[in-house]
Amino acid sequence: MSFPGVLLPLALLLYLASTLAFIGHLITIDRGPLRWAYGALAGACGLHAAALGGRAAMFGYGAFAPVQEELSIIGCISVLLYLILAVRVQLTVVGALVAPMGFVFTLSAYLFESGHTAVPNELASLWLPAHVVPAFLGYAIFAVSSCLSIVYLAQESQLKGKRKGGWFRKLPSLEILDNLSFRFVTWGFAALTIALITGSFLARELWGALWSWEPVQIYSVLTWLLYAILLHARTVGWRGRRAAQLTIACFVVLALSFIGVNLFFPGKHGGSLG
Amino acid sequence: MDREIVVVGVTHRSAPVEVRESLAFKGETLEQALHTLTAMESIDEAAIISTCNRVEVITTAKQGDSAIDCVTNFLAEREGSGDTHLLDHLAVYRGREAVRHLFRVASSLDSMVVGEPQILGQLKDFYGQAATAGSAGIVLHRFFHKAFAVAKRVRTETGIATRAVSVSSAAVELASKIFDRFDDKTAMLIGAGTMAELAARHLLGRGVRGLLVTNRTFDHAVELAREFHGTPVPMEDLPRYLELADVVIGSTAADSYILTVPLVRQVLRQRKYRPIFLIDMSVPRNFDPALNQLDNVYLYDIDDLSVVATENRQERGREADRAEEIIDAEVDAYLRWLAELDAVPTIVAIRDKFDAIRRAELERTLATLPGLNDESRAALDSMTSAIINKILHAPITHLKEQGRERESIYLVAARHLFDLDDSEGSGTP
Repeated sequence: MSFPGVLLPLALLLYLASTLAFIGHLITIDRGPLRWAYGALAGACGLHAAALGGRAAMFGYGAFAPVQEELSIIGCISVLLYLILAVRVQLTVVGALVAPMGFVFTLSAYLFESGHTAVPNELASLWLPAHVVPAFLGYAIFAVSSCLSIVYLAQESQLKGKRKGGWFRKLPSLEILDNLSFRFVTWGFAALTIALITGSFLARELWGALWSWEPVQIYSVLTWLLYAILLHARTVGWRGRRAAQLTIACFVVLALSFIGVNLFFPGKHGGSLG
Repeated sequence: MDREIVVVGVTHRSAPVEVRESLAFKGETLEQALHTLTAMESIDEAAIISTCNRVEVITTAKQGDSAIDCVTNFLAEREGSGDTHLLDHLAVYRGREAVRHLFRVASSLDSMVVGEPQILGQLKDFYGQAATAGSAGIVLHRFFHKAFAVAKRVRTETGIATRAVSVSSAAVELASKIFDRFDDKTAMLIGAGTMAELAARHLLGRGVRGLLVTNRTFDHAVELAREFHGTPVPMEDLPRYLELADVVIGSTAADSYILTVPLVRQVLRQRKYRPIFLIDMSVPRNFDPALNQLDNVYLYDIDDLSVVATENRQERGREADRAEEIIDAEVDAYLRWLAELDAVPTIVAIRDKFDAIRRAELERTLATLPGLNDESRAALDSMTSAIINKILHAPITHLKEQGRERESIYLVAARHLFDLDDSEGSGTP
């Protein structure tokens, strides 16, 4: 197994360990497992990043053409975002969602390891990183924001239902969850907007037109519109439960169409590489 | 050379309130009592804790038994109604148990309401008084500081103090599940009632920005507002001011709902759906229970809050078990330190004795060697020091380790072997 190839299974193990430690912490409410959870998660994220870096060094951009590799990158960035966030805010329960997410996203890359493709010369323009980096970043931000919203819904139903006890004690306040989720959606939207613009220029370079009715273009614009609606709803006073539900729904649509388009309509996007 | 910590007194477990009252110390009596205690021959150091739940005398002594007798007599004299009566209620802890006891008290495990936060502050006050009076020495200083550290550890590592066990504090605990910060929040108090006022006080303690007070009788509202540094609001203006309130506490004798669904729905619109926490402390209820169905409205009535408080009380019991484990470990650590303290004078005495011999012999030798220059003299000096250090290294290490067991035979043997107790400066404490 090649050098970066060893890193990935190790990262997977650590993601799993972190997930179990987070769950252990939530069940026992003991602070002991928490240190392990964060330690393992940071370790997993580091190894994961190293594995991705190794892949990039060997294969160039083409390393990340297959959809499972893209998911893997998004997972890695999401975990990193969460770790940065967790330094400032106590968000243990969110970690219990982010850690398994990192695990699943990486697992797909590990199981369906499908080699790489050389990037065609015409793709190697500066527009490619300018498109890909904000796109991955945006997706990762949306992933974390939907985790925050899931925890919001859990906390909200606890408070409404007047059930109090166990790991629900560990939930952060509604206000902070709502604010953070909103802020994340704003940043994610900014990143997505940039990705859409640079993506269009990339498309013009490759296919000769800013817009060519590619499935990937259609779904990108649709998800962008969905998030635009969410942001608009937020600014006119939607908050709390409904905003959280919409945040999660937006991400589900984003994730399904992302995977669906890549798998079933390879078109000229990633598919032309893989 | 052995010292023992002895705690003699009455607690809410051992004695009824009349007995505790009759023993309580205050201000000058306390200082005087500390002086009286330390003046006794069998007592080295002393401190007194006197709260409504306990009156306890903490002393260190070479002979624990005679210290217990002294303190018992001292307390009996205070109570004045004869030994027998008091003896029934006296709680005595010594040695390991005494250390454990104070750690438990500081950590609020021995409190009437387990986990209540006041006891630690009280303990600090009483320690401060003992320190000022000069009755606390090296052992008690360390003892109390350790107790404070243990209490802090228990507080941070277990959930013992995090659960609100009263209805009013449960309300505030819930508020902090909804709101992240309070300095930009406004609370509103409708009506007056002990629990509602307590909850308002708790919220002010959390730093809410403003408090609106309203009442059927406006004069009462003004009065209460003055007490809380709040703003009085006439009852008929309630709907207008409700928009400002993030937390609303209701406690009136009204027999119809003051907050109804249509009213709050309208308020929510005005507030751009920012969350509202409604606390209904009144029976019959002041707030329509259906309000809880509205988005971003969280309604708790007195029964809900009681359930939370009761659950928390049970939870504290579980957390207390974990606290006991921490305390056990800390007791061991403290006793080790105390035991090492016993070894220290012996070790110092051995070193002093060896060094005195070395110096004497060195001087004698140097006198017979007049031709030596300063450098050679210094070399001889450091060589002899090195020999002593190397010879003593192993015995001293063993003494430090074995000294941890009280009345270690090693310590006794060492003092005997080197004739330490007969010579001057033996360092016996």
